[in-house]
Amino acid sequence: MKKRVKPSLFRAVVTLPAIIYCLGLILLPILYVFFLSFLTSDSYGGYTYDFTLNNYVEIFEPTYIVMFLKSSAIALLVTFLTLLISYPFAIFLMDKTEKKQNFLIKLVMIPFLTNSLIRTFGWVILLRKNGLINTGLMSTGLISSPLALMYNTFGIVIGLTYTLLPFMILPVYSAVSKVDRNLISAAKDLGASKWKVFKEVYLPLTLSGAFNGSLMVFIPAIGYFFIADILGGGKVMIIGDLIRNQFLSARNWPFGAALSIFLLLFTLLLLKLYRKIGGRLDELGGGI
Amino acid sequence: MKEKNILVVAVLGIVLACGLYFAFSTRSERSFKNGEVNVLNWTSYIPDDVISDFEKEFGIRVNYGTYSSNEELLAKLSSSNEGAYDLVFPSDYMVELLIQRGMLEKMDKERLRNFSNIDSLFLNQDYDSSNEYSLPFLLAYAELIYDASKIRKPISSYRDLINKDYRNNIILINDQRIIIGSALLATGAEMNSVKDEELEMALKFFEELKPNIKAFDSDSPKTFLITKEAEIGLIWNAEATLAKNENPNLKTVFPKEGFAISMDNYCIPKNSKNRANAYRLIDFLLREDISARIVEEYPYISPNNGLISENEAEIQEILENGSYVENVGVDIKKLDRLWARFK
Repeated sequence: MKKRVKPSLFRAVVTLPAIIYCLGLILLPILYVFFLSFLTSDSYGGYTYDFTLNNYVEIFEPTYIVMFLKSSAIALLVTFLTLLISYPFAIFLMDKTEKKQNFLIKLVMIPFLTNSLIRTFGWVILLRKNGLINTGLMSTGLISSPLALMYNTFGIVIGLTYTLLPFMILPVYSAVSKVDRNLISAAKDLGASKWKVFKEVYLPLTLSGAFNGSLMVFIPAIGYFFIADILGGGKVMIIGDLIRNQFLSARNWPFGAALSIFLLLFTLLLLKLYRKIGGRLDELGGGI
Repeated sequence: MKEKNILVVAVLGIVLACGLYFAFSTRSERSFKNGEVNVLNWTSYIPDDVISDFEKEFGIRVNYGTYSSNEELLAKLSSSNEGAYDLVFPSDYMVELLIQRGMLEKMDKERLRNFSNIDSLFLNQDYDSSNEYSLPFLLAYAELIYDASKIRKPISSYRDLINKDYRNNIILINDQRIIIGSALLATGAEMNSVKDEELEMALKFFEELKPNIKAFDSDSPKTFLITKEAEIGLIWNAEATLAKNENPNLKTVFPKEGFAISMDNYCIPKNSKNRANAYRLIDFLLREDISARIVEEYPYISPNNGLISENEAEIQEILENGSYVENVGVDIKKLDRLWARFK
């Protein structure tokens, strides 16, 4: 009897911090935000306890919908670009020895060791009018006047793609590495081109990995306002900007809360879609 | 493998120990026999050495926190316990709002020996008409700046910014009230107007201006002008002065339609626990030599009468022609929506 109690007690003790963490630092704040989203702003940064759905109705104003669509379009483009880079990289890794694979994957992880804000400022040095890329191109005579590489949507897309790429590479790599090598050999023996091998074998078998990565790229891509601010020059507002503004300049916390909950529902919808195409939730933990 | 783990733990331990040592050593060496004072101020506003000189001279430890918008200050004050802060620096409209919400202590000028250093020009402003709760710290104004070696046609108004030659060449402060306000001024309206027709006019002006805007930046707009990334700007005066020091071709002008001004103030939050020390710090910052050091590093306008003697007339003009941002109540929603459409 004693022997049986002990492991469960042990389990309870070791999982307690995680449970406290999930309840106290994730669930409670979300509940608070949810509650806040039904209150009325007093326009002085506070709120009154008049329950209302107005905050949610306001989201559907044309101005905000247009912004929502623009922001989603940027995020979709970023998702597509990261997919475009991740697949060839993952398939390329398959031909390498395990040691080399590990080494190359570690290289992907290295940028995580520095602050993403600092890395974003690094891009400023590269992309600005008299930055490295423009001065380099001009000194070789390839262009005569500097290219507009940042302070526009292009800069935002570069910054987001760069920052979020590892979140795509890891799940795609993990999915690709699970594909039975014999299938690939068989396809090649039967005369399939590289493109055909990708389209007929890799792609269908790794779809859930690709969707997993897409979720992890798309969702931050509509929220990372600091990248939009620095590389977009603050000219393009993304949803993250709008939410931040509600707290830091418009003094409308309930509306900011409603936007956050709306974003959360949107995310849950994407997760549902993910499960529908056969993805498993426990694979969303980061791949490897 | 195990040895490797031990090594990693050891290295981490050493790094942590060094970090803790450096974090606490400089402070613990000094004794703060006269307690502490909790300050919340804008980022980059008082040079670090001014604060450490105060600590040395008075034996008071200064716990210094920062914020980057008035709204952030409001949020920090409302969400912390009463008395958590002893000295804050809100701008004009935020002073008014904090007074309305009963979040400030009255300012006892008797306790400030250097009160007389404040020039009367800066006192009795609309947001706190008899300085019952606040005293002026620094004055800022938004001005136009351009590189005269590149922009041949002199710029003197917001309207001059609408010119096909200035594509992607203008840097603006990233502040919704100031930019919407300037667009309103450009169309002949009041800076704080919330009338729908006037806001629509402002939006039209802004849409004409949009192709010329390089970026919105409040952190360091001067960098754009120094590196010649942009040749025209609407930025705060301190940034403009610093930019001019680096690039002598830059010229500043007061836009003739009017411009935004902003006064930051010393305020003591309700039930502050270290009020005596807060007054000591204010008194210290009001000293002429200290005020001079502050504006040397952050060249806004100090209200210290020893520092303004030569340009008193100019300052009077700035205060008369400039407009403060005013509280607009629930209409702030309109402005927020307009801002989303602006961008």
